[in-house]
Amino acid sequence: MAAILGISGLYHDAAAALVIDGQVVAAIQEERLSRIKNDPSLPRLAVAACLRQGGIRAEDLSAVLFYESPYRKLERVLHWLLQAYPASARHFSKALSAQLGEKLWVLDQVAELVGVPRARVRPTSHHLSHAASAFLVSPYQDAAILTVDGVGEDVTTALYRGTGTRIEPLLSLPYPHSLGLLYAAITAYLGFEVNEGEHKVMGLAALGQPRYRQEFERLIQLHADGSFELAARYFSYEAGGELGFSPALEQLLGPRRTPGTPWALETSEADRRYADVAATLQSVTEDALLELARRAKRETGADALCLAGGVALNAVANRRLLREAGFAHVFVQPAAGDAGGALGAALLGAVEAGDGRPPPLAHVALGEPIKVDEARALAHHLGLSAEQLTDPAASVCELLLQGGIVGVCNGAFEWGPRALGQRSLLALPGSLATRERLNRVIKQREPFRPFAPAVLRERAAEFFSDAPNDLTPFMTSVCDVRPLHRQALAGVTHADGTARVQTVNATAQGLLPAVLSGLERATGVPIALNTSLNGPGEPIVAHATDALAFLSAHAIDGLVIEDYLFRRRS
Amino acid sequence: MPSFLVRSASRARTLLELLQHLLKRRRFFMIPLVLVLLLAGVLLLLSEGLSYVAPFVYTIF
Repeated sequence: MAAILGISGLYHDAAAALVIDGQVVAAIQEERLSRIKNDPSLPRLAVAACLRQGGIRAEDLSAVLFYESPYRKLERVLHWLLQAYPASARHFSKALSAQLGEKLWVLDQVAELVGVPRARVRPTSHHLSHAASAFLVSPYQDAAILTVDGVGEDVTTALYRGTGTRIEPLLSLPYPHSLGLLYAAITAYLGFEVNEGEHKVMGLAALGQPRYRQEFERLIQLHADGSFELAARYFSYEAGGELGFSPALEQLLGPRRTPGTPWALETSEADRRYADVAATLQSVTEDALLELARRAKRETGADALCLAGGVALNAVANRRLLREAGFAHVFVQPAAGDAGGALGAALLGAVEAGDGRPPPLAHVALGEPIKVDEARALAHHLGLSAEQLTDPAASVCELLLQGGIVGVCNGAFEWGPRALGQRSLLALPGSLATRERLNRVIKQREPFRPFAPAVLRERAAEFFSDAPNDLTPFMTSVCDVRPLHRQALAGVTHADGTARVQTVNATAQGLLPAVLSGLERATGVPIALNTSLNGPGEPIVAHATDALAFLSAHAIDGLVIEDYLFRRRS
Repeated sequence: MPSFLVRSASRARTLLELLQHLLKRRRFFMIPLVLVLLLAGVLLLLSEGLSYVAPFVYTIF
């Protein structure tokens, strides 16, 4: 038996994944357990949870793989600090003390944290981990693999050819020419938090016009061979700038937006300008990805494309790749960001051990299960009502049909940033009032942010163009809402007429398929608004304590945990 | 918590792997740089805990 643990961490999105005999047994982000959003530490709690899920002890592990090489990373940091000298002088000691004081020793820390001999811990490479995380759980035996993120070691973008269990590197683009860092810099310029606000920029883009193409041509040069170059003077990565962009960017695009200011897109000229900047960024990013994907097609001739890396979470760009890059199939591993590196590292270890690759990813319920007994005991202490249900799906449908917003928790929590029915908030998809209530009162998000629909797979094509496809089970792409249904789906249709669709198999595990079937019987529309069960700035709920804390703090109409309905007493 | 000996062996392994990496990548100039920086770090760490090392550190820097 080969039991391989993969680990990512010490930057953002720490995670652990366990593969036993080639099967993915558990994959867990640290933030779910530590309750610290994008927890950057080493995944102490996630490692323990993975071992519990696998029913093994640390000494049973054959190997522990860290998702990147601390040596290559140190080399890149040193190289750039020296190259950017004297501009880098004031960041020299901070950058090097982080590298030499902590990050260089990550493999020793991992050995101590897991409780295995240091000889069993080894690094892999950042982009190879990403590539493995997508290809080895994809439905394809032969595919082009594109990994695009901010930076991993000294590489920002890489192309591989995947065949069976073999992943062969074809080309890579060096730091600092990075789509991820460009997106991050503009995210900061627009006043959002880097590594968290990128999806807000993507949502904002739909409300603007890409009228800054000329200015962006000075920021990034796209070449016909798929490569690109960032103009260094507009960014401040080399000198370790906190914002990622230099004053030259503000001279080019105007003053940056103050973080935390309320958005007023209908009345504020400045906010409309920021939306146009977001739209231009989105359009340039899509063009760059499209050229890369076309290069991948030319280099490999494969029918399928696998994507990973933080930029692969751009659902709008993924739709364009599916339509225009020339591939018949596109797959994005749902935890495409750095957390996914843990899964990739574990899978690489399993392949090295001769265990082959797992079956294609069918669901993402790879976390720990929720305990209803724990919830009942806690509800009693908190004074919440608890009612056992004979048919939980029917009860959820009933609450939804009354216009309610209902939390559902069943089975193991999800892997990746999307709630796909195991820890979700559900509502009917047609009501703008419900959307406003969710956005402003419960989630306290920017008003322009859309909500996603979950739809029964067999009827998806009726409501959404391009659905179903290999991306839609994991909400990693958008689809056009068919014009005939836009009014009925107003709560889940974005300003540009798209929706980030989740298609659900009627036979899949969990409560969601039965809820969608129930809605279909009652309304003819097998669709629910599905958003993550978490409050503003919080990680998605993992355990019963988190779920009941959410119920206590937010005005929702009920929380169904397995076969119990919990409610606040009026 | 592993013993001091186990932790030291673990750190030595990391240093060896770093050295092998820099040699393989032919980044020879980085080897003395990294070693000096690490040595300085160790001295600074020691000087915080052991007051009699402080004058020694002072003469170097």
